[in-house]
Amino acid sequence: MSGPNIALPGQILGASSSNELGSGTHLHNDQLCASISGPILTSKPSNSSKTSKAPKLSISRTTGNLLPEVGTTILGKITRTNPRQANISILALGPTGEHVCRDPFPAIIRQQDIRATEIDKVKVAESFRVGDVVRAVVISLGDERSYYLSTAKNELGVVMAVSEWGNQMVPVSWREFMDESTGAREARKVAKPV
Amino acid sequence: MAMLADRRRMNAPPGGTSPPVFASLPEAKLTKPIRTRNPDEHRKIFLRTGVVPSASGSAYYEISPSNTPRQTLVPSSSSLKITCTVHGPRPLPRNAAFSSNLLLTTHVKFAPFATRQRRGYVRDSSERDLGVHLETALRGVVIGDRWPKSGCEVVITVLEGEEDGWWADAEEGGKAGSWGMMNVLAGCITVASAAIADAGVDCVDLVSGGVAALTAERNGEGVLDPCPSEHDIKAACVVGYLQSRDEVTEMWMKGDAGSGSEALIDNAVKAAVLTRTVLAEAVKEATEMKIGKTSEAAVETTNTGKGKTKDIQMTG
Repeated sequence: MSGPNIALPGQILGASSSNELGSGTHLHNDQLCASISGPILTSKPSNSSKTSKAPKLSISRTTGNLLPEVGTTILGKITRTNPRQANISILALGPTGEHVCRDPFPAIIRQQDIRATEIDKVKVAESFRVGDVVRAVVISLGDERSYYLSTAKNELGVVMAVSEWGNQMVPVSWREFMDESTGAREARKVAKPV
Repeated sequence: MAMLADRRRMNAPPGGTSPPVFASLPEAKLTKPIRTRNPDEHRKIFLRTGVVPSASGSAYYEISPSNTPRQTLVPSSSSLKITCTVHGPRPLPRNAAFSSNLLLTTHVKFAPFATRQRRGYVRDSSERDLGVHLETALRGVVIGDRWPKSGCEVVITVLEGEEDGWWADAEEGGKAGSWGMMNVLAGCITVASAAIADAGVDCVDLVSGGVAALTAERNGEGVLDPCPSEHDIKAACVVGYLQSRDEVTEMWMKGDAGSGSEALIDNAVKAAVLTRTVLAEAVKEATEMKIGKTSEAAVETTNTGKGKTKDIQMTG
């Protein structure tokens, strides 16, 4: 590591007129200031845009993302289901769970957010079971308690499931998992393996 | 100490336990420690972040005692030792109301063995008071609106507290001007700031604590970082100071400073500037270490992650 520029909270990074506000920074008296400690990243503006934009200054988070934001892919576990929604606790952030959350965040997948097509025919019970590990994307910060998630994409849905007999199952189609030892099939909203 | 009976634990005798007093040499004489450093000189500080792996952020703070030669086994003055852990940002408990800001809570607790007078297991009023002071100091620096629906808990354990006076001077110890509390608060502010930075919570600046005092000796000259056992303090002041913004988020003044109160505050700010150099260095060092670690991990994942990424055909 050949000494990247490390900013400390409160350090002035430059005038706000010549820099764009990135993550981990804030404005104070027309000055761009760091708000966390970490290496300073300068991203060049794209040349294709006609207006010459200032470079964007941001501080990269050494701890990784701490909270789920809209658009974040998460991994979580279904905690309970009812005909309208499935409750899930978010256990890790990132498509492969790069950042493990210290505390699980409560979240909800509503019935209409499970699948992209034929959303009125979706049944929660045929998509998720309690204990399934699900990959989903955050669509809203939700209500006072829960984040709202969606699995309406091919690569989103159940990634790991356990059958009624307690055996690990493998995905066999877009909507079915199979228990290899008994051969029984169970309906799920299956995520495309990546 | 009026304290509610704690029924959850085996309680120590109410009188507390006193450490054994060893006979010292007959020619040994107890002398009140004298300040050997300059009036504008701070004691040496040890500060390190990331000491508690299970917390999202943590820090340890220690002020070394002055190493004056002594003839007894008991040190002439205590050294301040504080640990701080930060938990969060984490989701609010189920019964909490919606909050669009980060909910900051602070707990300050003296370990039962932290002071000469044994402390209880339940927080007493002075500890709660310190917690409130600390919360005011931190509330001004944390950018709360970046963390909706989450809470952050700052837990401080004082492992060794500052004394309120020289221990051998019985009536001074009993007088309990609680000057030691001022040093403890300044330490709490600094260590909490380091731990919050370690946790990666957004702040407008690093807040550092500083203490200054007016003393009876040196005809009322102000001193930075007073060690209560070395001085006869008349008035003291703690500030939580943001250097890069020149702002004070917390101030606590005690005693009769008279017309010198403004100079006293200025001195406290000076002390805070001195502590900040240590704080900034500690945070920077910790960040450099983290960057080193993440870059190593990145190298590893690029090495192992280049496996087969075949797309799987699915039917159905």
